[in-house]
Amino acid sequence: MERRIRFRLNGEWVEVTVKPNELLLNVLREKFGLTGPKYACGIGECGACTVLVDGEPVLACLTLAVDVDGRDVVTIEGLARDGELHPLQKAFLEHGAIQCGYCIPGFIMVAKRLLEENPYPSEEEIREYIRGNICRCTGYVNIVKAIKAAAESLRAGSSSHT
Amino acid sequence: MSKIILPKRLEKYRYIGKNTIRHDGIAKVTGKLKYAYDIYLPGMLYGRILKSPYPHARVKKIDTSEAEKMGAVVVTFKDVPRKKFNIRLVSVDEVNYKDWEVLTDHPKFVGEYIAAVAAETEELAQKALEAIKIEWEVYEPLLDPLESMTPGKPKIHDKILFGQREVEVKNNIACTKEYVEGDPDRAFKEADIVIERVFKTNRRYHMQLEPKVAVVRPEPDGGVTIWTTTQTIHNTKILVSQVFDIPMSKVNVIKLPIGGSFGSSIQTNLVVLVAVALALKARRPVRIALTREEDILDHHSYQMIFKVRVAAKKDGTIIAGELENIMDIGAHQIQAYPLLGTALGWFVSLYKWKNIRYKGIAVYTNKTPSCAFRGYGNPQVTWAVETVIDELAEKLGIDPLELRLKNYVGRGDIFWGQGPTVKSVIRSDGVPELIRKGAELIGWDKRPKPGSQKGRYRRGIGVARGFHTSGAGGPLSGEVIDYTGAIIKVNEDGTIDYITALQDHGGGTLDAHAKIIAEELGVPLKSINIVWADTRTTLYDVCTHASRGVYVGGEAARRAARIVKQKLLEYAARILGDIATPEGLRIEPDEELGQGVIYVEGSPEKRITVGEVARIAWQRNWGSIAAAVSYRSYAAPPAFTVYFVEVEVDTETGIVRPVRVVAGADIGTVVNPDLAAGQIHGGFAQGWGMATLEDLPYDPETGELMNRGFITDYKVVTAPDMPKLDDFIVIFADTEEPTGPLGAKGIGEAAKNPVAAAVANAIYNAIGVRFYELPITPEKILKALKEKGEIKE
Ligand code: FES
Ligand code: FES
Repeated sequence: MERRIRFRLNGEWVEVTVKPNELLLNVLREKFGLTGPKYACGIGECGACTVLVDGEPVLACLTLAVDVDGRDVVTIEGLARDGELHPLQKAFLEHGAIQCGYCIPGFIMVAKRLLEENPYPSEEEIREYIRGNICRCTGYVNIVKAIKAAAESLRAGSSSHT
Repeated sequence: MSKIILPKRLEKYRYIGKNTIRHDGIAKVTGKLKYAYDIYLPGMLYGRILKSPYPHARVKKIDTSEAEKMGAVVVTFKDVPRKKFNIRLVSVDEVNYKDWEVLTDHPKFVGEYIAAVAAETEELAQKALEAIKIEWEVYEPLLDPLESMTPGKPKIHDKILFGQREVEVKNNIACTKEYVEGDPDRAFKEADIVIERVFKTNRRYHMQLEPKVAVVRPEPDGGVTIWTTTQTIHNTKILVSQVFDIPMSKVNVIKLPIGGSFGSSIQTNLVVLVAVALALKARRPVRIALTREEDILDHHSYQMIFKVRVAAKKDGTIIAGELENIMDIGAHQIQAYPLLGTALGWFVSLYKWKNIRYKGIAVYTNKTPSCAFRGYGNPQVTWAVETVIDELAEKLGIDPLELRLKNYVGRGDIFWGQGPTVKSVIRSDGVPELIRKGAELIGWDKRPKPGSQKGRYRRGIGVARGFHTSGAGGPLSGEVIDYTGAIIKVNEDGTIDYITALQDHGGGTLDAHAKIIAEELGVPLKSINIVWADTRTTLYDVCTHASRGVYVGGEAARRAARIVKQKLLEYAARILGDIATPEGLRIEPDEELGQGVIYVEGSPEKRITVGEVARIAWQRNWGSIAAAVSYRSYAAPPAFTVYFVEVEVDTETGIVRPVRVVAGADIGTVVNPDLAAGQIHGGFAQGWGMATLEDLPYDPETGELMNRGFITDYKVVTAPDMPKLDDFIVIFADTEEPTGPLGAKGIGEAAKNPVAAAVANAIYNAIGVRFYELPITPEKILKALKEKGEIKE
């Protein structure tokens, strides 16, 4: 049975008809053209599809679209505000943390939640928090560096982002 | 923070050697960049492929009527051109072995393509696929190369093509290569010491984050437009044209960013040809996106079994080296034949053996076809050789660093960049510097004696050195194509368009090109626009492989920039008037104007912007200021790397962890320091995976991958597995490559090649045990410690 659902997507309320078995990842990518969340494994092993649902990182490849009815969904596309990049996005750019870039949306979404939970993460805590995200290019070195730097700049309050 | 040590020499450049924001960075961090996997076309159908569940079988009967009744478009082996080809077109045709078909009734590995369907939704396509009925004749699989090559075993292939000639495959041997130099037998007799060892490497999976995908749109003129994951848009165009008999001008392949590749799309992934077949039949665009489970059946690395024999004198002079190389290539040839030569090239270029014997045999098995995986056999060869060299040093009582310096192939010697047909003289060599600095930073002199430690946690330091080629060029034209092309044009506002087919896999190759152009021309980096490209609007580029992107592509860009510069100066001289010669003019970037300014040396008030020159040249009908350059390098210089690694072995669990890494790299001029260091970091991570984690065992009964295609079972390195930031140091050597663009060489593969060897040597230093089979898993470590009587059952 198809169902009409309504949810907040990157700040705007949207409506869409979905099948009960339709995955959030496919709905975002194919019905809303938001291809920032990536498919890379489809079984919750790589983190490339991570989005925030009510502020919590969620694997869109394992989430049914009907489950976000009435909730708040943020994808990587919704992170920059009024053309201003989030400090995490800036830090990833400035620290050479991006290579092919395919894994990066997932890392940034997970790191966003980490820095909300823990504004003073140690290097070890960062590594533990992102252990569910796979990057085959960077060896995680510059990614960890960028997350550390973003934590600092967020603490310095240089941004209105939360 | 992790340290990067850069040579001072780079300070003379404006953009080279400086960290800048990559040109595609904002699109990448905002999720806006479209990869091939993100392409959905209006009116398109979804394709799914029917794959063989058996490692070796024949289709006796196939019935697609149910699928067609469901409204699906179906193609089987009966609907595609029945010709044999090789999906990789990097070698010249005469030496290309061809044993592939688009779809087959004779699958030779689990996952080989039999038929495909396209339908309005992916779900319907999958249902239609499941409705296809097949009657199979199933054969016993051959999974072990040594068994496969024994006479009397079932044939995997019968007749295949070599160039245009048909050849018969005997004993499942795909191809062979032998080589002898000097008198190895005599040298082994005269040696004071001989070491002989057998090594077995692991079968690995690239695990690039973006699975393979193809979106194909049939065009009204009978041609096709293709969006796909590829390292080479031009070779994709050529292959599609050859297989489907479509004129090349009607096949257009769009260049898109790729979500990692590491060699897995040097060849045109077969999914492209299947999508073309479906799109042509359906007369609608078709998208086939492989799932991860399908992708892991598409491409693996070459698994190699080596016998290495080395002879030396008491004083540490190496006098002979022998290598036997049996390669498991899986069910089809991609680059088995060139790799037999290239593996020999890596061997002869590591040390001055003086007397050499090589025998290489590539063997078919009923497994996923093997292809290049970052290093192209080099990580395997280097692991074996650098292990033996370490053993040799210990036996001779010579410091392993000294033994290496005494015998390595360096400046003035001949380097085999891509096997016996691609040789050139080494002109830049930072090995002594990297060994000296690395030893100091890791504390080489304080490392423990092998096996001397007690207690649960044992640390050890290991070293290994190696290299990779920068491209496949040389003074002779060889069997490997190495052409590239660059187009540069100046716009009337002073911005500059740079057009190339060359693919950037994420390493920052095209950012390096932009810096080289800006530096050569004297214009702001931000004025260089890297243009969207496809096969129609670009010159031929063979492929981004062999770590050639910066070295070969960057030089083509530099040459085009030089031509553009000459034109600019010549026109500026005409416009400014009163100029004795264009050579007296200079160009400087003006960051505020966002373009270059041309002025008279000594009289800076006599000046004109680059844009103004372009505009006036255009108004006065002198023509556009542009250049198109085709380029093949006359050398393939090695980028040298030296890895010092400290590990800690937990003797209770067998788990090894990297404690510290000092990675030295001689890549000539460092163009993008942060991204070049990123290559080292990523190279280390992949090398660590090769050394300790990654493997693809097959079930001997079913001939299926034991990992069953799930990455849950294929372990790759995650963030906590890497050393701390402070404990990962990267040193760049102070060298300049005379044949490279502004002195640059390659980096991508050199970054990985010696890692597994350094890790294995460090494990030996920690626990006193050598391992001759990769990966060195906790189970193997515990077993070895038990055998040594160091731990109880
Ligand atoms: S695609 Fe969702 S975790 Fe990998
Ligand atoms: S940057 Fe390529 S997978 Fe992370």
